[in-house]
Amino acid sequence: MFNLFKNKNKERETVKEIFAKSHDFNSFEFTNEKTKISFSLTFLSTLVEEKTIRECALPYLLEREFYKLEDAKQLLPLPDVQISTDPCAIEEKLLNGNVLLTIHGEANKFCLFAAVKDTARSITPPEVEFSVIGPKESFVESIDQNLSLLRKRIPIKELIIEEQTVGSLSKTRVAILYLDGITNKENVNTIRQRIKSIEFDEITDSSYIVQMISDNHNSPFPQLLDTERPDRVAAILAEGKVAVLVNGSPHALIAPTTLVEFFSSFEDYYLNWVLSSFFRLIRLFAVAFSILVTPVYVATLSYHYELIPQDLLSALVASRRAIPFPPILEALFLELTIELLREAGARLPTKVGQTIGIVGGIVIGTASVEAGLTSNVLLIFVALAALASFTTPVYKMGNTIRLLRFPFLLFAELWGLLGIVICFCFLLTHLIRLTSLGRPFLEPIYPLRKQDFKDSLIRLPFHKQSNRPFFLRTQQPNRFPEKTVKNEKKDIED
Amino acid sequence: MSLLLLLSGCVEKEVLDDISLIEGIGFDLSENGKILGTVTFPLYLKDAPPKNQTFSAEAKIKKSFLQEIQKQTSDPIVTGSLEVVLFGKDIAKKEGILELIDAFQRDPGVGAGLYLAVIDGEAKSLLEGEYGIRGNGTFLANLLEHNIKQEEIPRSNLHLFLADFYQEGKTPFLPQLKQTSKKKIEITGIALFSQGKVIDVIPPEKMFSFKLLVDRFSEGMHQVSIEEGDAAIRSIRSSHKFELTKRNPEEISIHIKVKGIINEFTGNNLTSKMITKLEKQFEEDINKECLSMIERFKEKELDPIGLGRYVKTQTKNFDINKWRNTEYKNLKVKVTSDVVITETGVIQ
Amino acid sequence: MKVTIPENRKVAPFLVFFIIHSMQTGIGILGFTRIIARHAGYDSWMSIILVGIIIHILMWMIYKMTTIADGDIIAVHTYIFGKKLSKMVCSIFILYFCLLIVTVLRGFIEIVHVWMFPDLSIFWFALVFFILVIYIVNGGIRTITGIAFFSVVLPFYIVITFLLTIPYASFTNLLPMFDHSLTEVMKSAQSMSLTVIGFETLLFIYPFIKSPEKSRKWAFFSNIYTTLINLYVAIFTFAYFSENQLQKYTWPLLTIWKIIKMPFVERFEYIGIANWCLIILPNVCLALWCASWLVKQIFSIRQKTSVPALAIVCLASISLIITGETQNMLSDLTGRIGFYINFIYLPFLFFATLLARKVKKSETPS
Repeated sequence: MFNLFKNKNKERETVKEIFAKSHDFNSFEFTNEKTKISFSLTFLSTLVEEKTIRECALPYLLEREFYKLEDAKQLLPLPDVQISTDPCAIEEKLLNGNVLLTIHGEANKFCLFAAVKDTARSITPPEVEFSVIGPKESFVESIDQNLSLLRKRIPIKELIIEEQTVGSLSKTRVAILYLDGITNKENVNTIRQRIKSIEFDEITDSSYIVQMISDNHNSPFPQLLDTERPDRVAAILAEGKVAVLVNGSPHALIAPTTLVEFFSSFEDYYLNWVLSSFFRLIRLFAVAFSILVTPVYVATLSYHYELIPQDLLSALVASRRAIPFPPILEALFLELTIELLREAGARLPTKVGQTIGIVGGIVIGTASVEAGLTSNVLLIFVALAALASFTTPVYKMGNTIRLLRFPFLLFAELWGLLGIVICFCFLLTHLIRLTSLGRPFLEPIYPLRKQDFKDSLIRLPFHKQSNRPFFLRTQQPNRFPEKTVKNEKKDIED
Repeated sequence: MSLLLLLSGCVEKEVLDDISLIEGIGFDLSENGKILGTVTFPLYLKDAPPKNQTFSAEAKIKKSFLQEIQKQTSDPIVTGSLEVVLFGKDIAKKEGILELIDAFQRDPGVGAGLYLAVIDGEAKSLLEGEYGIRGNGTFLANLLEHNIKQEEIPRSNLHLFLADFYQEGKTPFLPQLKQTSKKKIEITGIALFSQGKVIDVIPPEKMFSFKLLVDRFSEGMHQVSIEEGDAAIRSIRSSHKFELTKRNPEEISIHIKVKGIINEFTGNNLTSKMITKLEKQFEEDINKECLSMIERFKEKELDPIGLGRYVKTQTKNFDINKWRNTEYKNLKVKVTSDVVITETGVIQ
Repeated sequence: MKVTIPENRKVAPFLVFFIIHSMQTGIGILGFTRIIARHAGYDSWMSIILVGIIIHILMWMIYKMTTIADGDIIAVHTYIFGKKLSKMVCSIFILYFCLLIVTVLRGFIEIVHVWMFPDLSIFWFALVFFILVIYIVNGGIRTITGIAFFSVVLPFYIVITFLLTIPYASFTNLLPMFDHSLTEVMKSAQSMSLTVIGFETLLFIYPFIKSPEKSRKWAFFSNIYTTLINLYVAIFTFAYFSENQLQKYTWPLLTIWKIIKMPFVERFEYIGIANWCLIILPNVCLALWCASWLVKQIFSIRQKTSVPALAIVCLASISLIITGETQNMLSDLTGRIGFYINFIYLPFLFFATLLARKVKKSETPS
């Protein structure tokens, strides 16, 4: 019987010998009561739900009659029972939580049935993209769980789920989702191609995939949107984009994406369109503010004092009187302190993190002003800028924003306002050249597409959103037939 | 490599707290015929109103006196925050201010909204006084600003002065200040210039009529007397219109419209008949004053209202020399006005 | 010589609006009001309109030429003169574009020297600027068009700030109208050539436009828009300054900004000058791209090599111009050359194309 386990290698190492090194490799022998046939069950106990074997498989195998594997297959009330003669399948299936059933006497055939242990985390509210109103489901690590969440939201046959395995060691299941007949085939092909050409050993998270299939690896801007909300994925699938789910990661990837999408939180769709447009504009303003305020402070104070309004001048000069450092060092010092606080706060366990946050924020800030190391005006600006940078709903973009401040600071120190404009031009060029899955990243601002504006910087009401975004070049641009409301000319009191 | 770039590409810094921001400059004629320049700048203190500091120095070329002052201060002096430039009486009358202004025209750091003023006295002693809780320069600038906006000084700053100066058919003017005590300054009239020197001064009582003729909209207070009592009328809106009615010799009709409210009335009840009377009296006052002012301008060969400029806009191939020499003298001016009193206050 | 460009490298027709306008708006607009007022006084707003009309006609000629020859300027020259001569003539344009780059960038640095940083190192600033330009040009004509788009849209607020000068302006300065002779108006029209040249880029980017017939109306709109902006600037400048005062300032537009005061900025001109960097960026990028594209067509050198090479040449020339005097001479020279190329050579080329077409038609058997 052990000959079955020989693999085709020249070394003739049996699979069983390798497996036997692991403590969780178990093999049990049983004898059927009625037919007295002996069979053995082999499985990896860490992957297999023993309850399933005990309750669903063993009673039938022990008490009912069967002579051959095909009979056993009829007996077992489990889905996914396969009879196979391929030894290579053993390794794969055993590692996927299957149980191997072999019968004495049938040398080359064996049966595999699934008894996977469900160890997934239960569904919790999203932590990163929390929304006050709206569904509070978020993805978990198990891809099957996630796919089921999505299937429930788009219960139509056109939702295609293609699976691939990526990673030579991790053998991660990666699923590509799209709507057949709506999504542009080019986008799907590009993603499929790129995922297929990934060469890596251990894929632990979807972010690895992001970095490997991005258009531009060197750009600090993320080119695929990641989200942990199934409602968001469902909505963008309906728009005509492609989603990628990775087993073991609670974040789904969306492509192609544009810069403007990174500043829209999904809560926008749950609020009234006037409110959500306003909030989106505030977010954009906050981002611009957070990148530019410290460099403008440094530039103005170092070179362009004439710009400061007269009344503010006295406050600024008085606040900077006792400070020994030039504005650039002061600004760098404060910025780095804020970064340190953020990093420390992220690494500390929750119980300690709150105290440190308060200590850092209040005590250090006040103390450094009192000691004359920084001015209170700059402290306010830096704190506001840090706060503003947290308004980006997507975490990855928030990091980018925080990073962008530093080149601006450097250029401001070099050439004042002129330096800021030059750095801005560099940034602008980079964004213009950036593409996401081949589509321009700055759509709909450049290339200008008026019809795509309805859901970018502002959000128009739903009945105006009957067209899918133009840049996706979907096969069906119309989402729903637009109602033609007849405008009956009614007077006030009619 | 980037460090090298940083070091060599850097430009000269003017960090905010390491510089002295001059707010006011004053020019006087010193005893030995040189220019005496005074600067004032505030020293900003924490939680306290700024302290004024003044420095003076003499120099031959006008703006190089700033170099002399640099030798006296601890922080380098910069002119970017300059708000007001004052000219002492002697320098404004004798030497003229044109050459002094040239330096400010050329400096890109100086704003065009800079206030200029003539001092009936010495600029140095005025700048050394202590006024208000902000710096002296800011005090002077605010004084001029609110008087221009809501009182009787016509709009004036560096740009307008230069525009008037270079304009064919117009002569420039500046407000005149006087230091009445160590802590007080007063506006004492409008100084009229020709070729950069002060020729005449309009007294405070006539500033209201002058502003009516010069500015597009003007506010200001005027006292009107009728037999029932005196009224203080505040103009809230006014406009003037020039019209060329005849040529050779030129005749201009000036029509002034004033909308006013009564702030104070010394008599008893204010009936509508009295209001009409007040309006008529006001109109007469305006006409008389404006006419007499214009005659005086013609006599002194000044034209701050810009009658010459107006004729130029109505004439093709205007000859400025002919205008200056003969036509202005022969110009006839008619002034008519129309006063409407809209409100009379809360009581009768 | 027909060049086939793949569709995904081409630019949409309506973006031609931004390309032409951004190319025409450079540093000329900052000082042109003084120059035109020199000849025709405050009637020179008519010369602006005159120039606008002339350029409209010239652009129509350009479109006609390129349609007949079915290609860019090299195709037009080949149509008339044959391959060899066309290559020789077109290499002159490479120098022309380099001259444009040097004039525009050095002019900007001059302004920064006078108004902001007198000790700004010409070499280092130009180096960083050229690194930015090379980064943009390496992205192809699409990236350059993107920058042109932003350089038209983002500084639009400057147009609105002009309204803040109205309290200090007297529009009666423009009276009396029509006080100058036609020759004076035409002289001032000629003197503003440096301000409006740039539309000839159309000849060079023609193959890169998707459906060029559709872009025709956008090019005309762009010219009208530039003319309107120039007119707007001129009228406000004339209202703000008196005639003799205007002649004193080298850059009247910047001087106007001195009076603008907003609640959060005391002095606007620094923001305006910094913004101007974005406005001249597409000028330099497009000129560099055109020059390198010509090099590729004529000498078959890869653009990736010629772009840095041309940039280094321009950088070296810029660093050699040290004084403002030399810069003024240079801009005069560029203005004159631009005038001859655009207003004299272009119509000549147009008529030559028509002639060539007639000749070719009579050659082919009917």
